[in-house]
Amino acid sequence: MAERIIKYTEALKEATDQMMEIDPKVFVVGLGVSYKNGADGTTAGLKAKYPDRILDVPVSEAGLTSMAVGAAVTGLHPIVHHGRVEFALLASDGMFTQAAKWNYMFGGGNPVPIVIRINVGRQWGNGPQHTQALYSLFGGVPGLKVVIPSSPRMAKGLLVSALKENNPVIILEPRWLFNIKEDVPTEIFSEPLDKARVIREGKDITVVAYGDGLHSVREALELIGDAVSVELIDLVSINPVDHDTVARSVAKTGRLLTVDTTNEAFDIGSEIIAHVARNKSLKLKDAPIGLACPNVPVPTSTVLTEEYYPTKVTIANAILSALGKPSIDKKLSFEELHLAPTTTLK
Amino acid sequence: MKTAYLDAFKKMVSIRAAEEEIAKYYLENKVMSFVHFYVGQEAVAVGVCDALSAEDRVMGNHRSHGHYLAKGGDLKRMVCELLGKAEGCCRGKGGSMHMIDKSVGFIGSTPILGSVVPLANGSAFEQRYSKRGGITAAFFGDGAFEEGVVYETLNLAALFKNPLLLVVENNLYSVNSKLRDRRSAEHEVERIVTGFGVRYMKADGLDYDDVHKKASELVKHIRSGKGPAVLECVTYRHMAHSAPIFDDAAGYREEDVLEKRLEKDSVKKVRNLLLSQGVSETELSKIEADARAHAVECVKYAAAAPLPDKKELFTDVYA
Repeated sequence: MAERIIKYTEALKEATDQMMEIDPKVFVVGLGVSYKNGADGTTAGLKAKYPDRILDVPVSEAGLTSMAVGAAVTGLHPIVHHGRVEFALLASDGMFTQAAKWNYMFGGGNPVPIVIRINVGRQWGNGPQHTQALYSLFGGVPGLKVVIPSSPRMAKGLLVSALKENNPVIILEPRWLFNIKEDVPTEIFSEPLDKARVIREGKDITVVAYGDGLHSVREALELIGDAVSVELIDLVSINPVDHDTVARSVAKTGRLLTVDTTNEAFDIGSEIIAHVARNKSLKLKDAPIGLACPNVPVPTSTVLTEEYYPTKVTIANAILSALGKPSIDKKLSFEELHLAPTTTLK
Repeated sequence: MKTAYLDAFKKMVSIRAAEEEIAKYYLENKVMSFVHFYVGQEAVAVGVCDALSAEDRVMGNHRSHGHYLAKGGDLKRMVCELLGKAEGCCRGKGGSMHMIDKSVGFIGSTPILGSVVPLANGSAFEQRYSKRGGITAAFFGDGAFEEGVVYETLNLAALFKNPLLLVVENNLYSVNSKLRDRRSAEHEVERIVTGFGVRYMKADGLDYDDVHKKASELVKHIRSGKGPAVLECVTYRHMAHSAPIFDDAAGYREEDVLEKRLEKDSVKKVRNLLLSQGVSETELSKIEADARAHAVECVKYAAAAPLPDKKELFTDVYA
């Protein structure tokens, strides 16, 4: 079949459109979702096709998110879009205290089919209050399913799954990946929500990453070439976490590196490493390594952000160092450091 | 008309008797579980629910025993829930602050102040979106009316013309904090609500008839597709904020002192009305005795009902 290369944002729009076509219960609420290039293009053009189901709203994140939760518990399947995670935090009650608890606190039989899409993470020039990731915050709330699509294909397949799911699903979308392209099937397909994926097999070291960090690892592996045999795992879901897939890989490689694009305190890598450490059947050849952002807010100046995120070079050198190989000396260009990638994934 | 008031009296007396029997059981058995009694405010729940149809939905807050029962919720399942029993309306996982009986349209109560307001707006959104008809009513207090999400919802509900009735039960206190310590002297609920383009009425929450008439008028307005409405009912809470006791000794009450509460009591008011309409004391006493007997039976049933299996700790995290 012929390749069909589309962007991450186009894949999200396609999943939304195709699911809205077959499921009249699905509607979208969010600031600017009715615009021509709504929600970074993820709802572009849909208002014309579904005038009553693509709903622009006042900037009332708490009120509109809980309204969507109320619509979900009474039978609809809303998609709520928050353009930045900082705004989604205003809706904490609806997400964490209502949607996440509803089925449990009412003794079962009370599903909350809702999808909450939230843009997270790095973007030049946006700084402390516009580029947080806060992954752990979402991973630590029982009752939610939380996924982080790392590619256009995953973006479409996970959104389709989320819209077929009878539970609240939070999709954390790293905006760093929005211009990444990939061959994505045109038909409707699902990617399981709660399974990690081994996306490259190897024998020397297990690397666990997700979202934009996973993309940086892909770039790092290009730098490394054949010097090390790396097993790369896309974690995909941070609630629940697929610890079994990680354990199987670590049992084989004996080495573990985790890559986070959030502050290192209480990060996702710490959770992965803790589970591996507690697993008596796993024998590590060396102490696990965790790469993450320092425990400071995200700065705005590019001089400072250069020091903030793990780069393909820091990741490559962490892998090489773990295997006792010489490190790479490469200076990254301004574009490589600060502009979102436009790579086409193979 | 006499029949309508008799029916309301039966419902109000049932709610009152149920809570009094539960309070007695809590004190005698040292039950360690949070509970917010509705005693005193019965005219609001019954007056509003009597203005609704079976297909209409109701949601409530932390003080929702009365709302649940007024919509037709099962008393045995309610008391079981309070005592953490397997037959509770939430299988023991919710407790007193989480009432639900979807079979009668009581679709849930949530205790985080104000949280029920946007949730109920979502239910009303669904009723309009699915063109199924019906309205959603949400009960919450004067304290919750100070949460920001209420104002967001007034705007959203008016914007979408959702069939939503917001019932503010103003019992004069947020826990024990007085209105004047929380609002400026110029604060006007009516101007706030109507400023959003939402219809507003104020009722005497101790008077079933007043609540019912105004609720009926607002329900008619909402059913005609004209959008949401707010009914503010000024009422008295007889008991403490969250304990099975009277708390007059705490000394915070000013207007609603015990003597005044007893004089203006909502159940007594309907009772006197029925007497004046010629209903016999014998008939009213029989209604009260029946309600008491039913409450006693339900508490006894719940006390003996089985506890949930410990394995249920892990069930229903996901649907």
